Amino acid sequence: MELEEAPKQHYTDKEKGEIFNNEFLPHINSMYNFGYRLTLDRDDAKDLVQDTYLKAYRFIESFQKGTNAKAWLFRILKNSFINDYRKKSKEPNKVDYQEVETYYNSEEVDRQITPDLRVESLKDMIGDEISNALNSLDVDFKTVIILCDLEGFKYEEMAKILDIPIGTVRSRLHRARNLLKEKLSEYAKSMGYNKA
Amino acid sequence: MNNLNPFVKPNQTKPSCMEMLQTILDGEASEEQKQYFKGHMDNCMPCFKSYDLDMALKQLLQSKCCGGEAPQDLIEKIKIQISQKSAQ
Ligand SMILES: [Zn+2]
Repeated sequence: MELEEAPKQHYTDKEKGEIFNNEFLPHINSMYNFGYRLTLDRDDAKDLVQDTYLKAYRFIESFQKGTNAKAWLFRILKNSFINDYRKKSKEPNKVDYQEVETYYNSEEVDRQITPDLRVESLKDMIGDEISNALNSLDVDFKTVIILCDLEGFKYEEMAKILDIPIGTVRSRLHRARNLLKEKLSEYAKSMGYNKA
Repeated sequence: MNNLNPFVKPNQTKPSCMEMLQTILDGEASEEQKQYFKGHMDNCMPCFKSYDLDMALKQLLQSKCCGGEAPQDLIEKIKIQISQKSAQ
């Protein structure tokens, strides 16, 4: 499994344990949240996270001590999800990438396409609306929002985690935000927030 | 005095409002770009409104969708499995 192009490291068992405890385990809450948002099931999330940590340990010599452990772990989890978990589930969950790619280059970008969602209605959403809206997005869109807005990853890190060019990260984020706002605007409407 | 738009790309293309806003939102803007955009918002109502909404959404996402903790039994299970592996 190729996770990083870095040359193989050599660690003693003690060093391996230290890296695992000091660099990998501190990210477990973020990892669990990511796993849960992807699978939408607590047990599946546990399996996915456990699997990720075992893989990280097995391939620990591909990891260079003191580098970006969080990005490395997120990459393993995302790959496990695609290769193991998603294969098992039936839903194809395909995104129309053609549309995504051309979207950003079109003249449409400067037009205000956001439905009439207002800050006030957003702030009234004190329940699970935001979380549910995020969960309802297609996996690829949900993922970029989690990586950028929840976890604060940079474009370059996201590109490595997802194996896509930075331009695609940008356009996918743009599209994801609009989809999320559309969802929230629907919620707002159904709850009567947007009454003029 | 500097009137140059720091968002201008190497190929001299002028960025759209949406592109500038996204760079800010995505946390990729330099100090210079942030300053420029602040000034820009004074003269551009659509940017001002979008920025407000998008930032509110970003903050809400952070407060509503993270901060949960991984179950303790999961952490214990992982630790046990790793200690068994390293003992091999
Ligand atoms: Zn503007």
